[in-house]
Amino acid sequence: MSDSSNLQLTEHGELRHFLTPEGLDRLMLERILDTADSFVVVGNQEIKKVPLLRGRTVVNLFFENSTRTRSTFELAAKRLSADVLTLDIKTSATSKGESLLDTLQNLRAMHSDMFVVRHSDSGAAHFIAEQVTPNVAIINAGDGRHAHPTQAMLDMLTIRRHKGRFEPLSVAIVGDISHSRVARDQIHALKTLGCKDIRLVGPNTLMPQGIENMGVTTHSNMDSGISGADVIIMLRLQTERMASAFLPSAGEYFRLYGLTTARLSQAKPDAIVMHPGPINRGIEIESAVADGPQSMILNQVGYGIALRMAVMSMAMSGQMQQRQTQASKSSSLIGEKKI
Amino acid sequence: MRIIIRGARLLDPNQALDCVADVLVRNGVIEIIGNLTDTPFDGHVDTQVNAKGMILSPSFVDLNTCLRDLNQIQKGTIASETLAAASAGFTHLCPSPDTQPCSDSGSVISLIKSKAEAAGFCDLLPVAALTKDLKGAALSNMESLSRAGCIGFSNAGFDISDNNVLLRCYEYAATFGLKVLVQAQDEKLGSGHMHAGPTATRMGLDGIPIIAETLSISRHLQLMQHTGVEGHFNQLTSAQGVALIRQAKAQGIKVTADVGIAHLCFTDSAIKGYRSQYHVQPPLREELDREALVAGIKDGTIDAICSAHQPHESAAKCAPFAATESGMAVYDMLVPLIQTLVDAGELNWMHAIVALSSNSASIAKNEITGLTVGKRANLTLIDPNHSWTLDEASQLSHGTNQALANQTLKARVKLTLKQGQISYAL
Repeated sequence: MSDSSNLQLTEHGELRHFLTPEGLDRLMLERILDTADSFVVVGNQEIKKVPLLRGRTVVNLFFENSTRTRSTFELAAKRLSADVLTLDIKTSATSKGESLLDTLQNLRAMHSDMFVVRHSDSGAAHFIAEQVTPNVAIINAGDGRHAHPTQAMLDMLTIRRHKGRFEPLSVAIVGDISHSRVARDQIHALKTLGCKDIRLVGPNTLMPQGIENMGVTTHSNMDSGISGADVIIMLRLQTERMASAFLPSAGEYFRLYGLTTARLSQAKPDAIVMHPGPINRGIEIESAVADGPQSMILNQVGYGIALRMAVMSMAMSGQMQQRQTQASKSSSLIGEKKI
Repeated sequence: MRIIIRGARLLDPNQALDCVADVLVRNGVIEIIGNLTDTPFDGHVDTQVNAKGMILSPSFVDLNTCLRDLNQIQKGTIASETLAAASAGFTHLCPSPDTQPCSDSGSVISLIKSKAEAAGFCDLLPVAALTKDLKGAALSNMESLSRAGCIGFSNAGFDISDNNVLLRCYEYAATFGLKVLVQAQDEKLGSGHMHAGPTATRMGLDGIPIIAETLSISRHLQLMQHTGVEGHFNQLTSAQGVALIRQAKAQGIKVTADVGIAHLCFTDSAIKGYRSQYHVQPPLREELDREALVAGIKDGTIDAICSAHQPHESAAKCAPFAATESGMAVYDMLVPLIQTLVDAGELNWMHAIVALSSNSASIAKNEITGLTVGKRANLTLIDPNHSWTLDEASQLSHGTNQALANQTLKARVKLTLKQGQISYAL
């Protein structure tokens, strides 16, 4: 969608919103990863703060629950020295009947500089960036089943730090592709970064229609799907999938698609195992694998903060630049009128 | 009162008429069709149109529209939307029964008809609710509603999942020779927000698969065949749906079908970027489906083109895509959309007039007077070369959900005559 890429960039091609990796070029994704790499070090310092967002107001708007994502965004903003306000909208204004539009316009009137948005509707962050508050930097922290770009990019950071170049890699994404907001962004990012072999593994009920058009292969058999893979990304399975007739039982799912030590041996010996968390032990993944030497699950959490610091600082900088461009344009227009 | 339309191309499918001629309408009746310079007449002329290069046809009949009155006047009123319809060449409209309150009683029917009569732009041929309150449980008073002027019965966008109720509905309608209209979409499979395909997958939106339509069509066709009721399908969307209707007609089942103009012109790819103006129900599908719908019009499988006009206020479309209301305001762009199909070589104007006028009038059981000397004039005059911009100043519908807002469009209705009176003039 070219609309998304245009919307995410300033007139000078800098990031001003981060809604999805779709439409961003390889150079931009590599810049995000390079910036994140530089922030990984900050987390290891005794004083874990940099002053990049000092005096800026970041509002975390979580229209649906997510303790983990919300806390990493909060921590990332604080490490960038921003003033942070976290709103749990579920128990706030919109439950009193205020529309999303009105809530956001009120927050904009409080001179917020950045909204980190999590919403159950696909396209919510896009809608806010395009139609509601274009001059506030929007970071998409997950919209419906569309996108979760910071999770996808922290996965790319994990892969790059542990595997290097993307071109020769075989990456298997296993599980509930249909309901996953992360899988779509992972596919976009992997393709843009040069990965050629992307395999999606799962039963037909969890495989969305026409996904092959995104340049991936689909596999209903786990063993063949992960055979020879360099990277295995396991997706979280929501327990409501059983109640809503997507799957018969957690037990059968684990037997067919759970990652066990035996199964992992089908992949390359140095394959890495990833999971966006929180993990369901014994449903998607065996404990021995989750806690084993090939697991990157805890590394991902640490990289998540660095990656979020990177996109927040880049988008804020782009947004400030855009505001200045607009201000200078309007002042030159005033000047023209005077003449 | 005399109106002269000079030099238009006259198209009337009922008489296989396609010629250039002048038309004189006197006191509401077509008096002369021919060359008026050779046929002198006496007296004053009230309106004279030089219609060289324009198309004059019998007026249009819309088999599916939402006028929003009575209780949704923030979206549109009968006065505003019937004027917009007249500006698209319509003189007769079949409003869908999902009015608020719903069209399941004689009092609602007579109220909406009287409002339209007072406005004077279009006559209403209402479609009444097939079941009380459109709940899919109890039969509406079909015979009484038919006497009140309803031309058929439909459950609008509300699927009747109980086959027992649906069978009884069709048996009862068949008893009195009443027509049923169906918007075929399985309720559960149709719970998504756009066509299930690669675009929905990329955008992370819940999809509505084609089988939601085809399963429903098959089910209704079997019940129609079983009961002998006269059936009509509103708003086909898919190539497979068209194939099922083609097959049914070949088997001799009494069935007709229409397609919304949006489905003939747009596909699901228009939604990219979460463009809520293209959020419609039933959903826009893929290019192959669009092409099959156009082919269905050409070979007569699809009898009619409807507007499926659904005006909305701006707030209805200003939200994340899934939270927006479905529907498109169509009247202001209907004729330009037909022109795009003509310009692309996909349809010609005769195809369009068959589908908008003669066939839809016959389905609505409306006597079309056509271009015949001695008959009341129900006529539409279109300038296919008129270039204009659809903006707030030019649009007539109250709906702000104009998919082609601020675009330069080609073709426009110049004049609409309803029962010999000018109901719209540009």
